[in-house]
Amino acid sequence: MKKEKLLRYVFLLAASVAILTIFLIFVFMAVKGVPLFFKVPLTGFLFGTDWSPTKGHFGAFPLIVGSFLVTLGAVAIGGPLGIAVAIFLSEIASSRVANFIRPTVELLAGIPSVIYGFFGIMLIVPLVRTFVGGAGFGFISASFVLAIMILPTIAALTEDTLRSVPKAHKWGSLALGATEWQTIKKVTLPSASEGILSAVILGIGRAIGETMAVLMVIGNAPIIPTSLRDPFSTITSVVALDMSYASGEHQEALFALALILFIISMSLVAMLRFVSRQRSTR
Amino acid sequence: MAKTTAKLISLILTSVILIASVAGCQSGGNENGTGRVTIVGSSTLLPIIQAASEEYVKDHPDAKVDVQGGGSSVGIESTISGTAAIGMCSRELKPEEAEKGLFKTPIAVDAIAIIVNPDNPVHGLTKEQAMKIFSGKITNWTEVGGKDEEIILINRDEASGTREAFFKLLMGERDFLKKAIIQPGSGQVRSIVGQTPGAVGYLSRGYVTNEVKVLALDSVRPSISTIRDKTYPLSRTLYLLTKEKPRGPAKDFIDFVLSPGVQKCIVGTAYEPIIEVKK
Repeated sequence: MKKEKLLRYVFLLAASVAILTIFLIFVFMAVKGVPLFFKVPLTGFLFGTDWSPTKGHFGAFPLIVGSFLVTLGAVAIGGPLGIAVAIFLSEIASSRVANFIRPTVELLAGIPSVIYGFFGIMLIVPLVRTFVGGAGFGFISASFVLAIMILPTIAALTEDTLRSVPKAHKWGSLALGATEWQTIKKVTLPSASEGILSAVILGIGRAIGETMAVLMVIGNAPIIPTSLRDPFSTITSVVALDMSYASGEHQEALFALALILFIISMSLVAMLRFVSRQRSTR
Repeated sequence: MAKTTAKLISLILTSVILIASVAGCQSGGNENGTGRVTIVGSSTLLPIIQAASEEYVKDHPDAKVDVQGGGSSVGIESTISGTAAIGMCSRELKPEEAEKGLFKTPIAVDAIAIIVNPDNPVHGLTKEQAMKIFSGKITNWTEVGGKDEEIILINRDEASGTREAFFKLLMGERDFLKKAIIQPGSGQVRSIVGQTPGAVGYLSRGYVTNEVKVLALDSVRPSISTIRDKTYPLSRTLYLLTKEKPRGPAKDFIDFVLSPGVQKCIVGTAYEPIIEVKK
């Protein structure tokens, strides 16, 4: 009995480490970041368009826009692709083919992001330079690299939900004379839609937080891009580039940026919980 | 009741563990006198200091020297905070940094070269043209006698001493074009300029290879002799920084870098040794 009780505490301790870490990270970022807002008004920080930290201008709007832009681009490419991969694996491929392709896709998730960045610089950036012009850094390169990075997340989760659709539904549809594609489109996908949405949200979470790969291919100019050829920045790329030397207000501004990212990630987690709760109450 | 106490105890325990580890980090970064020297900062200085440290360790088998890049601002910050014994710096200190009482030892003089893609027919610019290009007033190579090609600017990040020095020496009051691509190191600037038609950037002369083409500025090309007679407009002094007057292992290392043998080697890496400039 004593051992049972002791073990309970051990596991409770482990769980509280996780909670306390999140709590401490939040408090730490708030303590370090919030003082900035006594000098720079919150609206000026969120909507100012001039980010020149060494001159004392902290307008983070271009960076926030940048983060959302690349995420949008990544999901626009990686979302359909990931869902298509999942449909192929769960509905079309024979189990032998699927068992070969699935681990390959999963392997994509295990590749370190700096290697994706390197791949982006060596392959995607020159291709974009040739076909679109400019230097090749910017929206297209960053979206492509991120799309490949979120592909395994979206594909794996979507496949799980597609497989959880009861076989009887599909058989019913096929028995009524629907073709395989009609069944996928009208029966399987709609009943898995909330699961797919969760998969996409997780993909968004991965894309918006990605740092190294994006930093290497985006060009890092602190502006709102006006063309596909413009280099720009994201919240994460700026924090990573500046953290090593920033001091004073500049450092506070980076913590404030991190805080914004933290809040965005938390909202995504909340959204995810909301979506999956909707699913379970059905 | 027992459950809440248990929760409380574990919470306190975890906080103790976390606080202990945070405190451990803060005291762990200090340098001590065992002959280990950490050197951090300018990527311009990195190659010469790296080479010097390898020689230094050969002469002093019990010494350990760690050299890392990151940019001049990183070197300054790390020297002030004490995480590095020596900071490498390729620009002058800003007033707020100078206030912290850092000790500067000049070790070499360097020229900043303006580089373009090797396929670019342009051979040189005036200072005025260069300034207009980097501030975005001139956007096509035809305006400076080249072919009809968009100018693609490759700039450095704000931690860079090369950027700061280039700005001070060339740009005066004018700002850099914000739309320029920003790269965190001289090596990246070189490889992008080398691959991209129409690209222009700048870097320390020590980084120039045949991947890129160096432009003359006001008809003067950067070289040892034009640095020496001060005709090349973009030259600057490179420093090693210490928190106070160098002593212990840091002093040993700086003295080694200033010794005639090492200073002679610096010429081989395309920088101008400080001893000769002083004369």
